[in-house]
Amino acid sequence: MSLPSPAPTIEQAAARLASLLTYAGGALSDPERHDLVFEAEISVRPLVRLPAPADVWAVDGGQAVVADARCLQLVVTRASRARWRGGRFVLEDEGELRPQLVGCGEERTAVMTYAMPVRPDAAVDIGLLRDWGEWQAVSQSVEEADAGAMVLIDGDLEPDWRLPPSYLDGLFARADAGGVTLAGVTKHSSLARGGAPLLGQLERRAEESLGPRAMWWARLATTRPDSGPNRQILAARLDPDARFSFRVDVPAGADPESVLGSLSSLADDAAFPGYPYPLSVADRLAACPGWVRDDVWAQLEDGLDIAGVPFDVRERAFTDRHRLMERA
Amino acid sequence: MTSGGEVRGRLFGKNVLEATFRAAPDEDLFLGELLVGVDDATGRRYLFRVVDVTYGTEHREPGWAERVAGTMLADDGRDDAGAHPLYEQSRRTYRVATCSCLGYLTPPGPDGVRTEFRKPKSLPTQFSRVLAPEPEDFAFLASRMGDLPVGMLRSGESVVDFRVSIPGAALSSHVGIFATTGMGKSNLMRVLAAGVMRANGRYGLLIIDPHGEYRTALARHPWSGERLRTYAARSLPNTTALRISLAELGIDDLRTAYEWSRPQEEALFELERHYGVEGLGWLAAFARLDDLPGFREVELNGRIALSTLQVVHRRARRIVELKCVAMDPNVSVGGAVLNDLLGGKVVLIDVSGLGSTEEVLVASYLTRRVLEEWQSAYLDRPEQHERMPVVAVVLEEAQRVLGASKDRESNVFPRVAREGRKFNVGICAITQQPKLLDDELLSQFNTFFILGLADEKDRNILRASAKQDISAVGKEIQTLMPGECLIAGLAAPFAMPAKVDLYADLIRATPPPPAPRPTVAPNISALVD
Repeated sequence: MSLPSPAPTIEQAAARLASLLTYAGGALSDPERHDLVFEAEISVRPLVRLPAPADVWAVDGGQAVVADARCLQLVVTRASRARWRGGRFVLEDEGELRPQLVGCGEERTAVMTYAMPVRPDAAVDIGLLRDWGEWQAVSQSVEEADAGAMVLIDGDLEPDWRLPPSYLDGLFARADAGGVTLAGVTKHSSLARGGAPLLGQLERRAEESLGPRAMWWARLATTRPDSGPNRQILAARLDPDARFSFRVDVPAGADPESVLGSLSSLADDAAFPGYPYPLSVADRLAACPGWVRDDVWAQLEDGLDIAGVPFDVRERAFTDRHRLMERA
Repeated sequence: MTSGGEVRGRLFGKNVLEATFRAAPDEDLFLGELLVGVDDATGRRYLFRVVDVTYGTEHREPGWAERVAGTMLADDGRDDAGAHPLYEQSRRTYRVATCSCLGYLTPPGPDGVRTEFRKPKSLPTQFSRVLAPEPEDFAFLASRMGDLPVGMLRSGESVVDFRVSIPGAALSSHVGIFATTGMGKSNLMRVLAAGVMRANGRYGLLIIDPHGEYRTALARHPWSGERLRTYAARSLPNTTALRISLAELGIDDLRTAYEWSRPQEEALFELERHYGVEGLGWLAAFARLDDLPGFREVELNGRIALSTLQVVHRRARRIVELKCVAMDPNVSVGGAVLNDLLGGKVVLIDVSGLGSTEEVLVASYLTRRVLEEWQSAYLDRPEQHERMPVVAVVLEEAQRVLGASKDRESNVFPRVAREGRKFNVGICAITQQPKLLDDELLSQFNTFFILGLADEKDRNILRASAKQDISAVGKEIQTLMPGECLIAGLAAPFAMPAKVDLYADLIRATPPPPAPRPTVAPNISALVD
């Protein structure tokens, strides 16, 4: 029997991290997904800003745990939409708060309630609830969008793994038929090369080759044919003063330079150059800050009062013992 | 009164005495601006004064605003301004105004008029509208205004159509005019003097003018012929020669005007005893002495050190040589000045050309005469005293005689500050440095005119002594423009912001005095009877 290797020290961890971060080579990968076919050679190309689409939609989702009895939780999710036309928002929809009990099988009702196209035995959690709400909002936006519109999604064009990839087939087809371009923008990508963040490596390379204020883009991968509609996985720096580049997913048939060029003209807001402004508004709308949780909790308590649930029962169920113990 | 009007913001905080409201990012709010919080639930109208304005943003992440500014600044640096617009700035940013709550107008009575103004003791309903005030919002102030016009009510940088004035009776409870150079002290003093001239003899003003800055201006007032009398220490047209008899001056006047050491003061008393003459009449003989050592040895038995005697002698010669000092008691103008003041006139004493100490000597003498006259009338002739006008002595650079180190038994000015009110004699102290005034004396001043003051110590001393809470208006005082002032007094319920009338405009708008009523000949009078 071999002896277990000793636990690494901080110094050893730092040394390993340093080698990963500074080694600009190795295989391309996405630790979270395995359906990408990476480009053999990634080339970084200048990006030219084009006029913004006349009609832009942005979709984002939010979630919060309102009450947590560990085996049972009350969660809320919502999907928000914003519509940007002519330099201003004509629609800002926070989206309805969807409360759902999760745990001990209570979550199964959501499958029926929200007509989720998942297998009957699929695990349902807050992540799935939120994701499904977002895709429903994307679908609704595609339906309402003008021809030539762009629908932006916060995150990649990849549904939750429990949703069948085929679900996107119909959505992409409808978008294509309506002349609507879908684009998913991921703020913090897990794409890697040799174990190090890929986008950071590309940013350094682009700065060296194109200059510090260059806008650029690169094709990184395409999706495998068996994982739903084909998509292109791109990276782009959408503003000369952008601090970061982002992963951008677009349908396989879209012209990357055209889509990214148009997208870049939405990414010149002084508050965060390089990130499409409509998405930052959708993000704000979807957020479920503390006051939202408190509000739902108050409503919940009213309901429990009416139902005559004793206070101590609630307290035993929902008191955060971690916090109590830490306070002690 | 309607509750409509332009909405300037919505109230969201903060407590009974301090209100905060949100306004649009382009809402032009000024320090000192007066606004009204309309509480629809109670029908009250809260009067607010803006004391600070800051930026606000919907974005909560730290450094958001700095980041935006940095992005724009970088664009500027590249000569590419506008490359990064801030989308929807009007929604993402705003302004937050902090206001002091001055009080509230109660709901209108049956006649629809709001006349009662109360100190703030309750919170207006949150999110109430904040509006620009309407003329009716200040109607309650009308009954609190006096008969000495000052100017117009000011709201920030705007002028409100409402006349601001102080009661002339406030002159007896002392008035302070505080401002740095160029902020309009002299103009304000002229405006007050103009008010006194038009008050039909109810008030008198004794202005000691060290710089000769009032003579020409006040003489241009249409009522100056009847209501202004000017005495000058040097030969000036249309003035009466200022003559003060040595005999009328006292040692206390000398002690007020000059800095004396203890031995020098003792020398003064010794000399007064030696000569045995009333007042300072002995100064003339003393000043003429040639053999000071001999006089010391023979006449004073060497009781005073020669060096001490030399100082007193030098000063005596200077005083005696003054053109305005007379040896003959009969030529003194003291009595005439009192008569002018009793007649409710503005008496201007132009002491330009005199040294600072001699100027104080003259002021001390005249002020003492006024105080003694009004005091004796109050004590011995109360009926006459009731008919006597309220008078005030105007002192430029008042810190010279009202400073902490000047508060001695002999100094007449602190006495007036402490006791004058009872006798209807006040001080109008003008100074650029209120911090140099004695705290306790300043607390006797019931009316402050505060013009621009840059020094924080000056503002602090006024804050501590003002009869109204002006703690929140420090920034406003700092930013006052020439001619703008705050009036803290007992009459109004809060420190009144005002734009002082321009004296030149005021005299242009002043009608000539009414023609004197013709005297009827005795025989005609008898016929009428």
